[in-house]
Amino acid sequence: MLTAVRNQLRVCALSVKYNIMREMLNKVTFVTNVLFMMFNNATFIVQWVILLRLRDDVGGYTMREVMLLWGLAASSFGLSRILFARVFSLPELIINGKLDSYLVQPKNVLLSVMTSGTNTSAIGDLLYGLLLLCIFCFSVKRLLLFLLFTVTGAGIMTAFALLAGSLSFWFVRSELFASHMVGSMTSFSTYPDGIFKGAARFLLYNVIPVGMMIYHPVHIMIAFDAAKLFTVLGYLVLLSALAVFVFYRGLRRYTSSSLMAARM
Amino acid sequence: MRVIEAEALSKNFRVKHKEKGMRGSIRAVFHPQTEEIRAVDRVSFGVEEGEVLAFIGPNGAGKSTTIKMLTGILYPDGGRVEVLGIDPVKKRKQLAYQIGTVFGQKEQLWTHLTPYDNFCFFGAIYDLSGREAERRIAELTEIFELSDFINTPVRSLSLGQRIRCEIVASLIHKPRVLFLDEPTIGLDPVVKENIRLLIRQMNKELHTTIFLTSHDIGDIEKLCRRIVIVNSGQIVMDDSMEHLKYHYLNRKIVEVKLQEETALPKTEGITILKQKGSRVRLEVDTSVIKINDALRSIDAEHVEDINISNIPLENIIMEIYKSEGRGAVQ
Repeated sequence: MLTAVRNQLRVCALSVKYNIMREMLNKVTFVTNVLFMMFNNATFIVQWVILLRLRDDVGGYTMREVMLLWGLAASSFGLSRILFARVFSLPELIINGKLDSYLVQPKNVLLSVMTSGTNTSAIGDLLYGLLLLCIFCFSVKRLLLFLLFTVTGAGIMTAFALLAGSLSFWFVRSELFASHMVGSMTSFSTYPDGIFKGAARFLLYNVIPVGMMIYHPVHIMIAFDAAKLFTVLGYLVLLSALAVFVFYRGLRRYTSSSLMAARM
Repeated sequence: MRVIEAEALSKNFRVKHKEKGMRGSIRAVFHPQTEEIRAVDRVSFGVEEGEVLAFIGPNGAGKSTTIKMLTGILYPDGGRVEVLGIDPVKKRKQLAYQIGTVFGQKEQLWTHLTPYDNFCFFGAIYDLSGREAERRIAELTEIFELSDFINTPVRSLSLGQRIRCEIVASLIHKPRVLFLDEPTIGLDPVVKENIRLLIRQMNKELHTTIFLTSHDIGDIEKLCRRIVIVNSGQIVMDDSMEHLKYHYLNRKIVEVKLQEETALPKTEGITILKQKGSRVRLEVDTSVIKINDALRSIDAEHVEDINISNIPLENIIMEIYKSEGRGAVQ
């Protein structure tokens, strides 16, 4: 059992390594991708600086909390797309029958698929998040919590993308739905939760799990709350289990295809 | 010993139907219509260890679907399947350690990596230690003559070189059964011949069971000892190549060049396929008329040149597709 887990991890690590090697084939493109993503993210700071000069806070968030929110959103998003980028294109893999090559390998299909792609610019996101934390609200305790929540956030985002993407096993063109759901998660994760009331707030804590991915962790990093911490961890476990269950149920319906395909 | 056993194996696909045009698209939103298609319909067969089997049929016959059920890619809707005594549905991973797959239309290799790096990756997938993988790569590099391009990124290789690497990647773990789905698609005749030679060698030396689907008659003729023909999801023929040739090659093509243009007499068992001046192309049914009697009827004294050949296997298979497509005959 342990050997099997070790071998599986060895393959996943190799897969991630080869993905990054592929992205680094052109060094200039690689470096500019990373830097421009950081630059692109940084432009949003200007908006918040202007806004927070006009008001003391937005939805209860001052500049420090907003930067923490942005940092965690960027890092979680980045880590998820560095390690599990392929999960975000799962509908395309399902519809075009590109899971075949993973299904004939003696390894966990889901892990093999998820780790088979990476996104260079996501490295910029991850670094940007850490940079914001270091510049605006650094403390050792906060850094450790930030790293933990980057992992849980990436986990929640990946599980949510997996859940939404797996619907393609049942519904044609559900890739648009999946893409909107994941997109809305990214968009909402950069706004303070205090501005959302009623149904919107309910949605953000239940249907689109931004609350568990970003809002609760930000609250914990500002004022530590063990109950909230366990809620986030519990939610991650439950959502991941549900997403994996739905993926494997869907896999029984996988129809493959005869389209020509290459592993790029 | 039987390494593959399929019993009443079935697979259905639900396909959406839409009437033409915009109106059809709108109607499909409110009244979606689907049809269930039987891709594989109660197919039963077995494959012995070390056998080289051609599993052929026209497009959409159910060949790839069958291969995908045998390898654990697709879940069957009915029937039973076992490969090396393992149920691909229940123990897909366990089976994957013992089989190899090459899909001519789908690449498994990472295009930015060299074949060597790819083979190392596949070695890790099959839990080979670094040293074991090295040894195996060296062995296969020699057999498949890869040394000239083993360190060139896959994307820079020719199609033939890539297919060789695909086959090597699928052999890295010494599979007992190798599934080849159109392995020579798009290759030139020389490369095709090389690939066939390697497959034959592998079967002979390593005793690997080969399950091959191909539209290339050359692959089938030169590699396989047994042929299974499927059409419309059913097996229409399961016979040895020798038998197939014996039963179906009772018609000969006779091409003669006569000294002068002559009207040939009508004889039972002889069909004139083409006549242009003094050149005549005939089909002789040897179950009706012996070949020497047929030659006598042509008047051999006036023959300047003659060539007798079998009907191409391709034509025979095409005839089987057409004649047996409506009902399954095993």
